[in-house]
Amino acid sequence: MSEPFIYLDYAATTPPDPQVRAAMDECLAAAPGNASSSHVGGRAARERVEAARAEVAALVEAPPEAIVFTSGATEADNLAILGAARGNAARGRHLVSVRTEHRAVLDPLARLAREGFRTTLLTPGRDGLVDPAAVGRACEPGTTLVSVMLVNNEIGVLQDIAAIAAECRRHGALLHVDAAQAAGRVPFTVRGLDADLVSLAAHKIHGPVGVGALYVRREPRPTLVPLSFGGGQEAGLRPGTLPVHQIVGMGTAYALARAALAAEPARLAALRERLWSALRSLPGVHLNGHPTQRAPHILNVSVDGVDGEALLFALGSVALSAGSACNSGHGEPSYVLRALGRDDVLAQASLRFSFGRPTTEAEIDLAAQRVRAAVLRLRALAPA
Amino acid sequence: MSTTEPYAPLVAQLFAELPGAGRPAGPGWACGEAREPLSGTWVRVYLQAAAGRVAACRYEVRGCPHTVAALGLLATRLAGQAVAGLDVDPAALARELGAPAAKLGRIFVIQDALRSAALQLNVGCP
Repeated sequence: MSEPFIYLDYAATTPPDPQVRAAMDECLAAAPGNASSSHVGGRAARERVEAARAEVAALVEAPPEAIVFTSGATEADNLAILGAARGNAARGRHLVSVRTEHRAVLDPLARLAREGFRTTLLTPGRDGLVDPAAVGRACEPGTTLVSVMLVNNEIGVLQDIAAIAAECRRHGALLHVDAAQAAGRVPFTVRGLDADLVSLAAHKIHGPVGVGALYVRREPRPTLVPLSFGGGQEAGLRPGTLPVHQIVGMGTAYALARAALAAEPARLAALRERLWSALRSLPGVHLNGHPTQRAPHILNVSVDGVDGEALLFALGSVALSAGSACNSGHGEPSYVLRALGRDDVLAQASLRFSFGRPTTEAEIDLAAQRVRAAVLRLRALAPA
Repeated sequence: MSTTEPYAPLVAQLFAELPGAGRPAGPGWACGEAREPLSGTWVRVYLQAAAGRVAACRYEVRGCPHTVAALGLLATRLAGQAVAGLDVDPAALARELGAPAAKLGRIFVIQDALRSAALQLNVGCP
């Protein structure tokens, strides 16, 4: 009999909540209407969009008019970074970010380098945290934008964004925060972050794939150059016919996340600690990232004495992410773990467990048993 | 193998069964070792010979599923082969297991260990 499947990859994506699916179904079944049209169907669509916008805004305590819908957090990151850099190029062409950012941030920065912008990429400490003072030291008179994620998608560490924001204010730089992993998992408000731009995703918190949002501060409003043109929707920042059912799905997911925010982070943190307690009893298992300043839903560990790809394969019925995508044969270790100082072999032998609303203690215990068995089996093949 | 399956069924089978895996007990084994530091791949091959032919092959390994499977395949096939000129064709082994071209370097680690073990035959493992 095959082993039951355990999904522990909620930082990659989450299944849409049944209420999200129902809301999207109902929207798709409704009378047709382009949210930009003035007839009754269009107005109904617009009402759905604005209700969803209010829900997204409510989770992060933003004014609804500060929320710009996009196709996801990747587009939100691109709009924030490319848009702010290009829109403020007359003030300066220097940007600051961190080596452990998501590719959705690092790749736009690389693109800007080809347009003549310079980027200073900070190396975090071995615990994955960025020293806010280092952000300040990296800023120059021509620094227009700093981009630092709230929760790291691989190791789950939680950056001190408010302190980083203070450095940005001191140097007159805009602050962008990728909060794709944070929304709904970590209580925060845009006022508390004091950020100018915040990227949000839907599918990380049981919403649909294909929709996200960018918070754009209202006062003072940062200058952004849009990435595409035509139609003027979303205040001209993200033109195109609005995908109403996707937006409704995101709004429902954010409403559900807000309702769960009082209790769910503590429950997820307890699951994370339960798994870590079980894994740390194995010798040679190392926690990646700061032990306490972290989001509740991500646990990343490195395992001595095993090959990471073999470990992942041995855990076939446990869905999680590894420190590298080795089967390509390139075996390129995680750049995030390398930035923390892990050597290549240990970075490859890393596992990211992430938890979501459906995760149970029984699943955690079973996953821990399987990891333990797989590690011992592989270590027996290569005694130290 | 489907385009989304990372490993051929043969790899999965050998990885699950691990034929010939483990350090042998008793005297009369020669061994050879090789490693590839970038991926951390490490292989030790043990050979036992009788009358100029391989009597048994065992191995220890830290490596990817393709490397582990390749050693399992080797262990099941070497018995009976002449010690003189004992070798393996890494490219053929990689093809048989459906390993991507970039994994060939890891299969060469097996070849290095096997050649070293073959040289050590009758010398004994330290």
